[in-house]
Amino acid sequence: MPLSVSDTADHVYAHGLRNQWHPVVPSHFVAPGGLRKLTALGENWLLFRKADGTLSMLADRCPHRGAPLSLGKHLGDRVACWYHGVEVDGSGTVTSVPGLPGCNLEGKTLVTSLPVREVGGAILAYFGDDEHPEPADLTLPEPLTDPAVSAFLCYAEWDVPWRYAMENLLDPMHGAFLHHESHTMYDGDTQAKFRIRETERGYFFEKTDQRGVNFDWVELCRTGVDWVDLSIPYPPSAGPGGPFGIVGMACPVDAERTGVFFWRYRRVDDWQRDTWRFLYKTLIEERHWQVLEQDRVMLEAMPADADQYENLYQHDLGVVRLRRLYQGQAAQQSKAAPQS
Amino acid sequence: MTTEATMWPYLTPHQTRDHEPTPYELKLARTLEEIFTHDGHELADVVGGLNARQVRTPSGEPWTEETFRTEMHRLGA
Repeated sequence: MPLSVSDTADHVYAHGLRNQWHPVVPSHFVAPGGLRKLTALGENWLLFRKADGTLSMLADRCPHRGAPLSLGKHLGDRVACWYHGVEVDGSGTVTSVPGLPGCNLEGKTLVTSLPVREVGGAILAYFGDDEHPEPADLTLPEPLTDPAVSAFLCYAEWDVPWRYAMENLLDPMHGAFLHHESHTMYDGDTQAKFRIRETERGYFFEKTDQRGVNFDWVELCRTGVDWVDLSIPYPPSAGPGGPFGIVGMACPVDAERTGVFFWRYRRVDDWQRDTWRFLYKTLIEERHWQVLEQDRVMLEAMPADADQYENLYQHDLGVVRLRRLYQGQAAQQSKAAPQS
Repeated sequence: MTTEATMWPYLTPHQTRDHEPTPYELKLARTLEEIFTHDGHELADVVGGLNARQVRTPSGEPWTEETFRTEMHRLGA
């Protein structure tokens, strides 16, 4: 069952925008020859990988009686539902109905199969609704494709609405407060003025009076997948190579849960690259994790109606812009009658 | 293979290591941070800083630029 245009705009806004790519889980979550159940955009899905590495993503729903295929058996190039043995291949086509050979289900493509790509150690999938099954153009974040950049993926699961996770990224000023005790965001002014600068692929939200000191700017990029790019200075202890960047993405799991993807990257080569990677694995990753946990603790503690009763100020322009963008798109993607 | 366990939430602090750092690796990493903080960011600073602090290669030798590059490539690739 594909995502439906008859869902309300509120449902779409709560569960994630359609007709674009989203990250779902790290690639290593589904081994060669493995199955992996997951939830994304409020629906249940099955990742299915053949022994040669080929990956498919199917609706986790047998076309026969709706049993979860994820409880079934991996048969190499197809999955067999545990309930009645109906076999489905990676394209969502029924290849066999063992209980009734020749059954008219055989040969029909009855299970939704989403286009998938793997990049930087993560699986991206295209979530089209029933009117937009063909994948949108996807331009991958250049820090993940540029060979001059060295990146590590950090993936975490938060009990937070996906939009709070994105709003947190469009709110750089929290760095100077929430992360003040961290190893990378202790410095800089705790007062700032911000501006929005439109780009062809999204917008910058940036401090007008400080750059390169704390979390001072962020760019929202909408390139078929939504991602942010930002940069945070390293202290001298991290050695040569300048600041580290973050490419951030979020998977709307359902209305209350989000998978967050952060690629920490640095433009380094030769011994500087190797040394940074060694320090990252040995010492730095754990410190970055502590910073990320500060975000999780704060966002998970936000009340469910946090965005209903606010008093915003100038620093929130980036968040307001993001909400308008996403709410407008959710309304466009819904053909349901607006709720009164 | 059947479906892998899907434990929510996945909150794993270390996602890039293939082993716990050895005492040698921890000492080397901490010394490198100290050198980068106090001595400088050039390769010569690093090699000089390690040798001045009596931190040796795994075979017990003083570091050279070449042995440092080789070891970082092994540990950081």
